[in-house]
Amino acid sequence: MTLLRVRDLDAGYGDLQILTDVDLNVEDEEYVTIVGPNGAGKSTVMKSVFGLTTHMGGTVSFDDTDITGANPEDIIRLGLGYVPQNDNVFGTLSVQENLEMGAYILDEVPKDSLDAVYERFPILEERRDQKAGTMSGGQQQMLAMGRALMLDPDLLLLDEPSAGLAPDLVDEMFDKIDEINEAGTAILMVEQNAKEALRRCDRGYVLVNGQNRYMDTGRALLDDQEVRQDFLGG
Amino acid sequence: MGIAETYSRSRQFVDRRPLTHSLAAAAGVGLVLYLLWVLVSQLVTGQLQIHELGELMWDGLMRGLVIGLAGVGLSMTYSILNFANFSHGDYISAGAFSGWATTYLIAGLGRADIGSLLLVGAGGSVFGGALGIGISTTPLAVVLGVVVAGIGAVALSLFVDRTVFKPLRGEDGITLLIASIGVAFALRYLMQFVFGSDVRGTTSQPPAYSFYVVDGWVRVNYHDMTLFVVAIGLMVGVHLLLQRSKLGKAMRAMSDNGDLARITGIPTEGVVRWTWIIGGALTGISGYIFVLWKGTLAFDDGWLLLLLIFAAVILGGIGSVYGAIAGGIVIGLTASMAVIWIPSAFARAAAFAVMILILLVRPQGIFAGRATA
Ligand SMILES: Nc1ncnc2c1ncn2[C@@H]1O[C@H](COP(=O)(O)OP(=O)(O)O)[C@@H](O)[C@H]1O
Ligand SMILES: [Mg+2]
Repeated sequence: MTLLRVRDLDAGYGDLQILTDVDLNVEDEEYVTIVGPNGAGKSTVMKSVFGLTTHMGGTVSFDDTDITGANPEDIIRLGLGYVPQNDNVFGTLSVQENLEMGAYILDEVPKDSLDAVYERFPILEERRDQKAGTMSGGQQQMLAMGRALMLDPDLLLLDEPSAGLAPDLVDEMFDKIDEINEAGTAILMVEQNAKEALRRCDRGYVLVNGQNRYMDTGRALLDDQEVRQDFLGG
Repeated sequence: MGIAETYSRSRQFVDRRPLTHSLAAAAGVGLVLYLLWVLVSQLVTGQLQIHELGELMWDGLMRGLVIGLAGVGLSMTYSILNFANFSHGDYISAGAFSGWATTYLIAGLGRADIGSLLLVGAGGSVFGGALGIGISTTPLAVVLGVVVAGIGAVALSLFVDRTVFKPLRGEDGITLLIASIGVAFALRYLMQFVFGSDVRGTTSQPPAYSFYVVDGWVRVNYHDMTLFVVAIGLMVGVHLLLQRSKLGKAMRAMSDNGDLARITGIPTEGVVRWTWIIGGALTGISGYIFVLWKGTLAFDDGWLLLLLIFAAVILGGIGSVYGAIAGGIVIGLTASMAVIWIPSAFARAAAFAVMILILLVRPQGIFAGRATA
C-alpha cells in the first residue's frame, strides 16, 4: 500500500519556486532515499510534506488522506514523523523533556514508547536530565530521532541524519535507521552520504534543480553509469 | 564559507572584547568601592542609621518584587512571540483599575453610590481611606480585587492579541513593537478618560509590625507582607508551571525553537493564548498589589513602571523568566537605595545606570540564553 504520495508538486518560499512537478511515493514499510546535489531542493521536499513551504501546485497525500496544506499537528496524528536537517532538538530542554514534547498531542506521555526509545538509544537514558544543547551532534541527532519516534509513526522523514557525525558514528546511525525500518517504520531519508544511503535503502530518487531526474532501486542507481558519474563522484 | 566567516568573526570578537570588558569591570569595581566608602562613612558619622538602611532595602525589595512579577509577564510574551510589548505597562494599570473598582465596590457598597465606587472614586467622590480598605479590615474586598485584577488584565491582553497582534503575527518584531506603542497610548488615554487623571488614595493605614534593627525600628506593615506573599507565591507557581507542567514545557520548547515546536505537533496558537493568559494574570495582579502597597492609584502608574520593568528584563536577559525576577529585585533595590548617594529625583536614573553597568560587564544579561528556563 502506498503511504506517501507526492504528485506534481510545485513549491518554494514566497515568490521563489524551488520544486517543479516533483513526484514521489513511499510504500508501507519501505526505505526510500533522496539524493542529489546541494541546493537541489531535497530538504524543500520534506518541508513541503509538512506544509512548511509555499504551496504552488500539486498534491501530497498520506494514507489516502490529502494533507496538502494541512497543519503539522494533524499530519503527525496521521502517523508521520519528521526530523529536520538543522536545529532539530530543543537545546534548553532536557533529553526527557524533548522526548515528552514528541508525544505532545497525546494526553499522557506513552510509557512504552519512552521505554522503547530509551532501549533503542541507551545514551539518551543515561543523559535523560541533561540539557539537549550540551550534547554532541551525534547524540542530538539520536534525540531528534527519538523524539520523532515517540508516536511510533508509520513513516519517518529523516533529513541528513549523518550530517556532521564522526565517521564511526555514521555507520552506527545507518544501522539504527535499518533497525527502525526493520521494526516496521517506513523511511524517507535525504542523505549527502549518497553511496551508503543507496546501498542500504530499497529505492532511491535523484533530485536535481527541484525536479525528478532518476528513480530506481538503490542497487540499480549505484550501478548506473551516469548516476555514478554525475552524482556519486565516479 | 559559513564556518570560516563565523570563525574569523568570533576571533575578532574574542580579540577585542577583553579590553572593553576589563575596562568596564575595573570601572565597575572602582564605582562599587567608592559607593561602599560613601555608605560606610555615612554610617560611621551617623548621617545614615542602620535601621534606615534596612528600611530602604525593604522598600527596594517590595518595589523589586512588583517589577519582577510584572517583568515575568513581559518576558514570557517576549520569549514566545519575540516582540517587546510596550502596552504591558498599561495592562498593569488596567489590571489595577479593574481590581480596585471591585475592591471599592465590595468595601463601599451601601456607603457611596455605585458609579463613584466603580470609577474608583474618580474626582474625589469617595476615598479608599474613608472606606477603611485594607487586607485586615476588608480582606474579602482585597482578595476579590486581586482576582479581578488578574482576570481584567487577561481579558484585555486576549482582546488586544485577537484584534491587534494576531493579525500581525509573522511580521517582524519592530512592526509589533510599534503597534504595541499605539495600543499603549490608546489604553492609557482611555483609562484617563474613564477614571480621570487625579491620583487617589486607595487604602487606610494598615497595621504594622516593628522590628528593632541595631539602632532603630524597621516597620513592616500588613500590605508589605501581602505583597511579599502574593509575589513570591506567584513566582514559585510560575516556576512549577514552567518546569513541571506539560503546558510549561511546551512554552519553553516554543521559546527555544518555534518552528520545531510546530512540527513536533505542539499547538502553537494554543500555547500563545495561554502565554497571554498567564502573563496577563501576573501583570494585572502585580498592578493591584503595587497599588495596595503604595496606597495610591493613578492612570499612568503602569506606564511609569514600564521603563523600570524593561530595565529589569533586559538586565536579567530578555526572555528569561528567572532573569526578570532577579533583574526586578536589582532594579527595585537600586531605585530605592539610590537616595543614600544621590538626590531622590535621580533615583530612576540610577536604576538605568546600574543596568548599563551590568550589561557592560555581562552584555547578554544575568540569565541570558536560558530562554524561559
Ligand atoms: N527558507 C528559505 N527561503 C528561501 N530560499 C530557501 C529557503 N530554504 C532553502 N532555500 C533555497 O531553496 C533551494 C533548495 O534548498 P534545499 O531544499 O535546502 O536544498 P537541499 O536540501 O537539496 O540541499 C536552495 O537554492 C536554497 O537556497
Ligand atoms: Mg538539505
